[in-house]
Amino acid sequence: MTQPRPSTPGSPAPGSPAPGSPAPGSPAPAARRRRLRAPTGRWRAVLAYAVGLAGGVVVWQVLGSHSSSEVFVSLSATLSRLGQLISDGSLQSALTASFSVYAVGVALAIVTGAAGGLLFARRALLRLALEPYLIALYAAPMVALIPFLLALMGFGFWPKVIVVWLFAYFPVQFNTQRGAQSIAPELIDVARSFRTRERDIWLHVAIPYTLPYLMTGVRQALARGLVGMIAAEFFLSATGLGSLLIIASERFDTAEMLAVTLVITLVGVALMAIGRLIEARFARWRVQQ
Amino acid sequence: MSLPAQPPAAAAAGTAARGLRAARARQPRADGEPQHAHSRGQIMAVRVIAGMVILAIWQFGAMAFAPAYIPRPSRTITQIPGVLSDQQFLSGTASTLLAILEGLLIAVVIGTVIGLIMGRLRDVDRALRLYVNSFYAMPIVALVPLLTVWFGYTPNARLAIIVIEATLPIVFNVAEGARSISGSYEDVARTYRAPWWRVWTGVALPASLPYLLGGLDLAIGRALIGAVVAEFIAGLNGIGYYILFNVRSFHQDDAVVAVCVLIAFALVLRALINLAVRRGLPWYRAA
Repeated sequence: MTQPRPSTPGSPAPGSPAPGSPAPGSPAPAARRRRLRAPTGRWRAVLAYAVGLAGGVVVWQVLGSHSSSEVFVSLSATLSRLGQLISDGSLQSALTASFSVYAVGVALAIVTGAAGGLLFARRALLRLALEPYLIALYAAPMVALIPFLLALMGFGFWPKVIVVWLFAYFPVQFNTQRGAQSIAPELIDVARSFRTRERDIWLHVAIPYTLPYLMTGVRQALARGLVGMIAAEFFLSATGLGSLLIIASERFDTAEMLAVTLVITLVGVALMAIGRLIEARFARWRVQQ
Repeated sequence: MSLPAQPPAAAAAGTAARGLRAARARQPRADGEPQHAHSRGQIMAVRVIAGMVILAIWQFGAMAFAPAYIPRPSRTITQIPGVLSDQQFLSGTASTLLAILEGLLIAVVIGTVIGLIMGRLRDVDRALRLYVNSFYAMPIVALVPLLTVWFGYTPNARLAIIVIEATLPIVFNVAEGARSISGSYEDVARTYRAPWWRVWTGVALPASLPYLLGGLDLAIGRALIGAVVAEFIAGLNGIGYYILFNVRSFHQDDAVVAVCVLIAFALVLRALINLAVRRGLPWYRAA
């Protein structure tokens, strides 16, 4: 039985050096090698980024202005539609509706996932008995469960929160569990030989040791929760960004769809950057083995 | 990766490493440590009992608290033969699964090509990274309404979403793999004056394969989500729509059977990939 992926290869925030790309002064052998072969200055990197960005803008603009407005619209038309959405307030209210669902769902997933992970790490019987079922559930496309939730709970705020929770729970649990199970025995031994109480072992050894792993789960939960949020808004009561997209597609309002998609992308990139920041902050606590 | 403690290879090709680690970890458990080890039979017994308990809780919980149309195991089991021989179910399932396999195949080709180019050519990598990262960070299902406008309510919209969902993790992982090739391999290739295309196909591609399979493992889950969302929105004949239709028409037990088939498909595909890594990529150990 395979363990769930410990850490997905996420995207680094745009602009920051990607894993493996040579940062200036980086001691990585790959970096040194590459600099020998193709000596590149900082200006060349900046140029490449700029060409990429400009190329995208130009392609979007040209494609958009040469196709019919139901199919694709130019960047400028998209941005002006975005301006309309902001000025009539519909974007702000959609963001509020979406992210109240998202925040509650992800927060619940982090709390319950951390608790579940610790519980599973401490109770071998529970792990033995339930792990295959959890892994099967983790592999299930959660969207397929949305119709059942709709039938059971109807429309409203909480069914959507449950969808976000379903998407975000498992990475938190599995990562926490992996961390708590891998606590180095010598750490516990040292604590015990100083007659540390059980409560203090938890507070000063187990939880600090597990936190970096939990934060990896949090980063993954932030990304998966976003998928859950959009799916919930498509298929449960239509609110927020999801409903803006659905309504726009029914009106063939491609400009609005592109504008909302742009906002969702920016939000996704920002959330990934936040998740990465949290993870990196706690990674210092990781015990080197 | 942001975890300096982990070697990048292990972080990026998590599945591959995990498969090997699991294989190695299994060795001592099978024959040693009698005080901790449980026999396979004991473990199976515990799991079966746990499964029965879950089903019992579901059964009695549904009987006590839920309306009659809510699915329960006793009725779901009796529905299995009916669903599995239902023509609508069979054609829908075949259509979805074929679309997923087709989409994964397309995504492997596109993703490997883009990933190799990004991993080998740093200027292209920099120019494209913004777009790959942004699409990887966003929920791709948000594109489904747009794709239904472009492709109509047709299976092509579903195929498009599957390809997009599946391509991104493959691009990401293959690029990571092509970046992290050991320098000595390239030195050897250059010493023998290997032309660039031999380096790409003979060194970069095999070195990226484990990463490709790691990306494919992620891609399967994403492709399934994309396919189901597309079927829900576009009402396409498929296993996702079969679930939706039967839940709406109060045949939820049939829908539960379909969900189980969907889960089984995901598990089988991922298990096949794990097997491929363990059996087919012996050089990954050295990487």
